[in-house]
Amino acid sequence: MSRKQKEIQETIENRDRIHVVMFFLSYIFLFLGIGVLACIIHIQTSFHVDDKVIGLFRPSSALHVEHPVRGRILATDGRPLALSAPLYDIYMDCTVKKQYYKESGKDSLERAWRNKARELGVYLSNQFKDKSADQYASAILKGRDNNNRYLAIRKNVDLETVKLVKTFPLYREGTYAGGIIVERHEERIYPYDSLARRTIGYVKDISRKGLEDSFDSELHGHEGYEWRRVTDNNRWVRDLDSTVVAVQDGNDIRTTLNVDFQDIADRALRAQINENPDVRAGICVIMETKTGAIRAMVNLSRGETPQTVLWERENLVLTETGEQGSVMKTATLLSLVEDGHVKSLNQTLPTNNGWVYNWRKPGSASEYPHDDHISDYQRKTGRRDITVMHGFEISSNYVFAQLAETYYGKRPQELFDHLYSYRLGEAFDFDIEGLRAPSVVRPGTPAWSNNTLGTVAYGYGLSITPLHVITFYNGIANRGRMMKPYLVESVEKNGKVLKKFVPSALNESICSPATADTVTRALRAVVNSGTATRLRGAKLPVAGKTGTARVVLSNGQYHDASGRKKNQGTFVGFFPADKPKYTILVTVYSYLSSLSFYGGTMPALAVRDIVDQIYALDEEWRPELHPTGTVPVMNNEK
Amino acid sequence: MSLGDLWNRFRRGMRSLRNGEFLLKVGADKFYMHIMYLFLLMWLSIMLSLKVDKTLSRVGDNKAAIEELRIYHAQKEAQLVKLHSASTAERRLRELGSPVSIPKEPAIIIKKK
Repeated sequence: MSRKQKEIQETIENRDRIHVVMFFLSYIFLFLGIGVLACIIHIQTSFHVDDKVIGLFRPSSALHVEHPVRGRILATDGRPLALSAPLYDIYMDCTVKKQYYKESGKDSLERAWRNKARELGVYLSNQFKDKSADQYASAILKGRDNNNRYLAIRKNVDLETVKLVKTFPLYREGTYAGGIIVERHEERIYPYDSLARRTIGYVKDISRKGLEDSFDSELHGHEGYEWRRVTDNNRWVRDLDSTVVAVQDGNDIRTTLNVDFQDIADRALRAQINENPDVRAGICVIMETKTGAIRAMVNLSRGETPQTVLWERENLVLTETGEQGSVMKTATLLSLVEDGHVKSLNQTLPTNNGWVYNWRKPGSASEYPHDDHISDYQRKTGRRDITVMHGFEISSNYVFAQLAETYYGKRPQELFDHLYSYRLGEAFDFDIEGLRAPSVVRPGTPAWSNNTLGTVAYGYGLSITPLHVITFYNGIANRGRMMKPYLVESVEKNGKVLKKFVPSALNESICSPATADTVTRALRAVVNSGTATRLRGAKLPVAGKTGTARVVLSNGQYHDASGRKKNQGTFVGFFPADKPKYTILVTVYSYLSSLSFYGGTMPALAVRDIVDQIYALDEEWRPELHPTGTVPVMNNEK
Repeated sequence: MSLGDLWNRFRRGMRSLRNGEFLLKVGADKFYMHIMYLFLLMWLSIMLSLKVDKTLSRVGDNKAAIEELRIYHAQKEAQLVKLHSASTAERRLRELGSPVSIPKEPAIIIKKK
């Protein structure tokens, strides 16, 4: 026997209790190892397990997605224009306990249940006042007879009402005995209903419009995720061993809209167009002159049929491109004065019986339609010349076509360069998506003809949106500085400003201040003695221009076979004329109609109403009363 | 060690288990403090786990209460804001037969000397 074998033999003979335990344990682990190996082979090859068994082994936790609260859209003074809160639908399982009462033969309990249902009907009727108590009771009892498990009781009720309804007879017994089912759904609440609704926009499923769409990334927030597990008390709690992504509620958007101005404009416009079935739509925009902040944007329309009520259906301010008519004469006048072609508003030009002189073919017929305003003017005054000022006051197409042909006939691009500098030839960035790009017939293009220049000069041949028009007029009111219109002034979180949007200029100088003053004088004359005299005597002096345009129909003409036309009447201007604070535009659109609509009628009257009300409301014009004597001081004021 | 010895040891082990002397037989009394410490740790772990569950349940309840208050606040705010518009105020005044209406002139500011 070798030495080593001897040592082993001695070890075996002398092994103590620890050795035995270790041997024992090693065998246990050996068997366990063999077992684990066998299990692995079995699971990998032939093991099939029931889903129920898997369920038992699966940890009782589930992924919970927490949805953020959508941010609010606020007016400039902080009043909410849109906010999020859930509403509730109340249903009823009419079959509760029915089977149990039937099987256990407890007819008295069934009768008691039915009596409570009748009592519930009284309470529901008193609460909702939409059906009688009998109607409610019979619906519930009929539902019980017909095994209706989902009878709609009332939809879109608030939390307070739900809590109250839960105290009603039968419902106070809970879901399993009373059958009440309350379903919650998130709703976007617009407290002012239709007011500025198209500007604010809406959220419906995945569809969004207006500011709700443009600022969705700010308003939406971020979803939160957490795993939840069931406790021994059957409560779902956060699983602290898992990853948690905290929910982030959406940010608030503070707009430039003034609820009071919006309300005033909405009412004034409705007052003018509500009773007139020929009116298809009406819009109004009020812009702060210095900043370009939009204080009100009204878009009322009836849709395709006159029978429907006025509602904010589409944002016509941004999308209704069209020839704006005489309001664009101001652009021509501004260009003429700025270029020095019109040195004085009293400068005269021959009336030529209302026919624009054809300088291309002297002696030939005019390329423009006749202007009846000039014939009337000649008849009334006996004069054969007319001042630029008076031509502007009476909105003569002849005067502006003649001026354009005289001064820009050989270089039409000069006038168009001005129009582009007024941003009338392109869309600009705006807080709501969808601002339509203008359509301009440019010199040298196939659509250009001999009379395009003149028609552009008096407002046709240039298709733009109302937002372009008011932005341009605001530039004049602001003495040449054309501000970029904007609707959102800041992004906030719990009152703290995260982002601030400051006013910016689209064009720092569309004209000199002197030119702007001259044109303002002409605009003032339109109100005092021109086509907008309905605004004379408004509580604040207004300067502005009317425009009446015919809309091109699908047949390419301005009227249909029976002579009916689609009109649009506009008034655009600013007030107070001497120190403008607000720029305003009102346009009224008609259906196909045999009637004519003028900018000096409904739009001007609406503007007057708005100006008068803003005057009474805006603190800018509050008079101060200074005491002339000594005011006695009371003891408690010392 | 023969099989007979093992069997004898097994029998002695079983007997000591029956007599409640097993831990003493294997000398576990030397590890008494460790076993008590382990027991304490397990008890603490279970107790803390139950406490955490209870706290998390309360957090859930409070969260639900806060959410309910938020909903209530938002709904009340919407109702109040609706009443705050000039049109609504004017309509309500008219319905109530009040001679008060929206001002036609701006308010006068009285300045102190």
